Amino acid sequence: MQVVEKKYDSITLSILWSRLISIVDEAGTTLQRTSFSTVTRESNDFAVVLMDSSGRSLAQSSISVPSFLGVLPMLTQALLKDYFPPKDWQEGDVVMTNDPWLCAGHKPDIGLVSPIFFQEKLIGFIGTIAHSPDMGGALWGAGARDLYEEGLMVPPTKLRIAGKPNQMLFNLIEANVRAPHQTLGDIRAQIAANDQGIKSLTQLLIENKMNEIDRLGEQIIDASEKAMREAIAEAPDGIYPYEYEADGDGKLEPVKFVATVKIQGDEIHIDYTGTSGPHSLGINAVLNYTYAYTAYPVKCTFSPSVPNNEGAFRPIKVTAPEGCLVNAQKPVPLGARNITGNMLHSVVFGALAQAVPDKVQADCGSACWCIVLNGMHDDGREFVEYFFLNGGYGARPDQDGVHVLSFPTNVANVPIEVLENDTPVLVTRKSLAPNSGGDGQYRGGLGQVFSIKHIGQKPINISILTEKTQTEAHGICGGENGARGSIEIIPERPLAPKGLDKFYPGEELIFTLPGGGGYGPKAKRDPALTIRDKALGYISE
Amino acid sequence: MKLGIDIGGTFTDLVLLDEQSGKLQFGKTLTTYPDPTDGIIKGIQELIQNFELSLEDLDSIVHGTTLVTNAVIERKGAKTALITTAGFEDVLEIGRELRYDIYDISLRVPTPLVPRNLRVGVPERLDKTGQVLQALDTKAMKEIVGRLAEQEVDSIAVSFLHSFTNPAHEKRVGDYIAEHYPDIYCSLSSEIMPEIREYERTSATAMNAYVQPITDDYLKRLEKNIRNMGFDGIINIMISSGKLTTIEGARKTPIQLLESGPAGGTMASIFFGKLMDKPDLLAFDMGGTTAKASLVSQYEPEITNQFEAARVMRFKKGSGLPVRIPVIDMIEIGAGGGSIARVNHLGLLTVGPDSASSQPGPACYGRGGELPTVTDADLILGYLNEDYFLGGNMVLRRDLAEKAMEEHIARPLGISVEEAAMGIHRIVNENMANAARVHILEKGLDPRRYSMIAFGGAGPVHAFGVARLLGSPQMVIPLGAGVTSALGFLVSPIASERISSYVCRLEEMDWNRVNEMLERMEQEGLAFLERADIDLSTAKIERIADMRYAGQGHEITIRMPMGKLGPNSIPSIQERFLKEYELRYNRSLVDIGMETVTWRVIVSGPTPALNPQLAGKTGQRAAYKGTRKVLFESLGTKAIDCPVYDRYLLKAGDSFSGPAIIEETESTSIIGPNSQVRLDQYKNIVIDMQV
Repeated sequence: MQVVEKKYDSITLSILWSRLISIVDEAGTTLQRTSFSTVTRESNDFAVVLMDSSGRSLAQSSISVPSFLGVLPMLTQALLKDYFPPKDWQEGDVVMTNDPWLCAGHKPDIGLVSPIFFQEKLIGFIGTIAHSPDMGGALWGAGARDLYEEGLMVPPTKLRIAGKPNQMLFNLIEANVRAPHQTLGDIRAQIAANDQGIKSLTQLLIENKMNEIDRLGEQIIDASEKAMREAIAEAPDGIYPYEYEADGDGKLEPVKFVATVKIQGDEIHIDYTGTSGPHSLGINAVLNYTYAYTAYPVKCTFSPSVPNNEGAFRPIKVTAPEGCLVNAQKPVPLGARNITGNMLHSVVFGALAQAVPDKVQADCGSACWCIVLNGMHDDGREFVEYFFLNGGYGARPDQDGVHVLSFPTNVANVPIEVLENDTPVLVTRKSLAPNSGGDGQYRGGLGQVFSIKHIGQKPINISILTEKTQTEAHGICGGENGARGSIEIIPERPLAPKGLDKFYPGEELIFTLPGGGGYGPKAKRDPALTIRDKALGYISE
Repeated sequence: MKLGIDIGGTFTDLVLLDEQSGKLQFGKTLTTYPDPTDGIIKGIQELIQNFELSLEDLDSIVHGTTLVTNAVIERKGAKTALITTAGFEDVLEIGRELRYDIYDISLRVPTPLVPRNLRVGVPERLDKTGQVLQALDTKAMKEIVGRLAEQEVDSIAVSFLHSFTNPAHEKRVGDYIAEHYPDIYCSLSSEIMPEIREYERTSATAMNAYVQPITDDYLKRLEKNIRNMGFDGIINIMISSGKLTTIEGARKTPIQLLESGPAGGTMASIFFGKLMDKPDLLAFDMGGTTAKASLVSQYEPEITNQFEAARVMRFKKGSGLPVRIPVIDMIEIGAGGGSIARVNHLGLLTVGPDSASSQPGPACYGRGGELPTVTDADLILGYLNEDYFLGGNMVLRRDLAEKAMEEHIARPLGISVEEAAMGIHRIVNENMANAARVHILEKGLDPRRYSMIAFGGAGPVHAFGVARLLGSPQMVIPLGAGVTSALGFLVSPIASERISSYVCRLEEMDWNRVNEMLERMEQEGLAFLERADIDLSTAKIERIADMRYAGQGHEITIRMPMGKLGPNSIPSIQERFLKEYELRYNRSLVDIGMETVTWRVIVSGPTPALNPQLAGKTGQRAAYKGTRKVLFESLGTKAIDCPVYDRYLLKAGDSFSGPAIIEETESTSIIGPNSQVRLDQYKNIVIDMQV
């Protein structure tokens, strides 16, 4: 006899759904609370996802950066298919991997997946992914020549077997990474987060007299999928191509993104055929990562408020020719794949502007610039300092872009006084870059000028990742491009916009960040806004 | 006698305490606009008349106001300029470069309080140790101040890089302004918030400058009007950390007054906790538009420095202007009596965060509101009495509540009006419990350890459900739940908090510098108490340092040892740090150095003892008012006959089991099944939540 499965009523569904989100948020809090690395704790560079028994995502932690969208379910489904079929999981297991093709595109991102058993039955999975402080190999940046220089790779392996830690794997990691206490500490924090999630979910099942979550998952996924499909269906069908040039190495090896966005009914397909091939710098992105940063602007456009789960992503398909810049294959280096990921929104928004001009934003002065300083204080102590610089935000259909704002990633600057405390540099300027926002009915946000002077006595190793010093943030719907950025050094000498260099005592580095693109023709700009911009010095007289 | 006065948006609440008899009297009057001091004077006069008192009986007045908060939200502050180190004029506008919402591409950021054309740089520069790299260009500075005066600015903020280590340059600007332009207010970052991190320090200083002229004006007028009535006692002002300051202190640093009303609620909870021997509490305050919760551990409120004013999106962290003042750590969610319920695009029932507020208000108010709200749901469920809302001063329209519920929720979802109402009630409780659970877990604490204390108009209606979800062992609905903030003012100590930044590893610390710094801050704090007429032998001194593992970006707050510090204090400081770190983050590391960032010294007067009068055990009339039909989730879909009591007629020692309803003017307590209710000796309602 077939049992007719009853659906949860709307109120129960609403309550259970928000409880699931609360469970992953609680687990996220545990992860943040118990991790050591500042990346995880302060840049929210992590995600927790609850999945059903086939690895479909039901809830993702609210705080997260876009790079992890959809990654954990893809990982879990791959684990079930190719590594550990359902019968191979035991209660208390934890599977670990940092394989960039299974996880989030570079080795520091570690994924941990735990099975959830209830009444001795495998009913689902919980996974965490977080940026670890170190996985060995060369210092972080675009500088490694291949994948192998980028540190240790752990293929899917049980880190805990039926509750018992796999000490061999812990030892292997410990022997391969810098600051092993921190890296292992963060891995333990991820385990704690998974365990916390399992505990809370078990409690929920008991309280609500449930014995599985697939049925609940089905309803959550269907509701989200329906909302996403309805939103996409409102957009006119068509094929919307877009081409976009980026700096690459800033000299001989520029990069081109080509995207063809096809909206058909309630589905959207983004194909990257025509995009540049593999790059010699470590800016290559694997398809998982490309998916995350492609799905992100689609979600922002169509359904920003639909919670993150399988359903929201089902109508979004992303393809790219194997081996190209956005579908990297072994053994190309991947370390700074964020530079590439951070520009995919530009192509997607550019294409979507042809279909839904009132729902997209103009291009931002991204990718986020990343600078790493590594050297000795005059007293011989070593320092490693990361800092980030953001450009102007793109103009929107109803308002100007915000000045100096992180997009699509979300990282804060390091306060000037903190930077000066930690390193022998003096910040000589931090100000808005007037006239850098693209003109238009709505103006792009301004970039910034940030300059530092080396006031110590020993040379500093510097890793530089910049973008849009040779190209510009696109205006859309008739808006103009934002101003390009620049990097100068005084006294003047050649300096690569991406890569490793030295910063010598007495030198001054001047970073000018690109502005955001404008939206709409400038003839339509409200004269009052122009008067304001002049009065405030956002634009010159 | 002592008088607490809390000015809210609609009402000005007054609480009068006779310290000798322990008798508490409550008063309420409408807040007056544009000058709220009119309402205060009226309220005091009414209170004096009603209870046949004289002004001479009154020793002190404690006042709290939303003036500063509102001035920042409504942008009604003064024309303000900002002087910075040349080259850093835009730090105030650039901020931290973060988005507060990941998916909202149309997000708006707060407009800076000082526009770009009024932010001027002056050549000067200090290094990280406070050494002068470039001397202050006095000529340029004078010219700039002169030009700003010509532009008729009312107030000037000054914030130079590293001024927290050496205030000399800022002081010279301040002195020059004071001498040559005495009518222009001036806020120096080295005085307002001498802490590392230029954006946060500048933001707080600019905000202080922005609100100083109007606050000064208001406090002067308030003092004058109260004195004119013939009052010659002490006037104190409530601040955000749950402490009091003097009028002088409030005029100098008005940003301390932000969020002082909610702080009063938490302080009142602590007071009730002491009466009932409950050191650990979750204070739950639910009003018309929001619900707030704060944790009390060992009779102390949790304090945070991560505060933001005037958020663009009220419930989005990061959408406001940072002010790193000590505030009571509170979560706030958009769940109040007026929160609107809807069926969203996913076909789900959602509640809030937007509110029908008081105009048009919930549908049942009959003022034109057509959308169903939490209050409408509570009325339909039988939790509210349509004829006894606000003590019968307002009649609720059940028919309108049902109509709104039917049209917007029940019909679209294909359920009954009652089911829809229960859904709304449950969802609001879930939202609050979820937020509270995450907040408590963030601190490494266990929600089940905390008894709940509920107040605010809607607090007692929802507290039982929230307490159940959190697994709270007990729940308390205190006396005077409608004027809790003003009551809290009466039990808060006067205090002064001094701050100095010293970023240094423990092993490299210059202990002479530390001791001098602590000594100076203590002396300043004691001098402040002396001016406030506090007997210094009763003063309490606390030392706190914000510490972190060297290289980390986030600090935790550590209580430091007293006495002279030196290298031999290091083990004790390390131990304190590790203990706190482990509590918060569940683990600690021993192989990494620790450093201090900011040192704080809090010098406070004694916490006022308040011995409220014991309630009598005899009453004339029975408190039992009969029964009414009420729906409880755990008792199925059929309404039960629930006993209703009049709170004012209940006697100390009365006891009964839930379900029950207790009505009072400002609120209604809903007590679910499987619980035991009793009134303690002060007539606080104490509910044991049996599982």
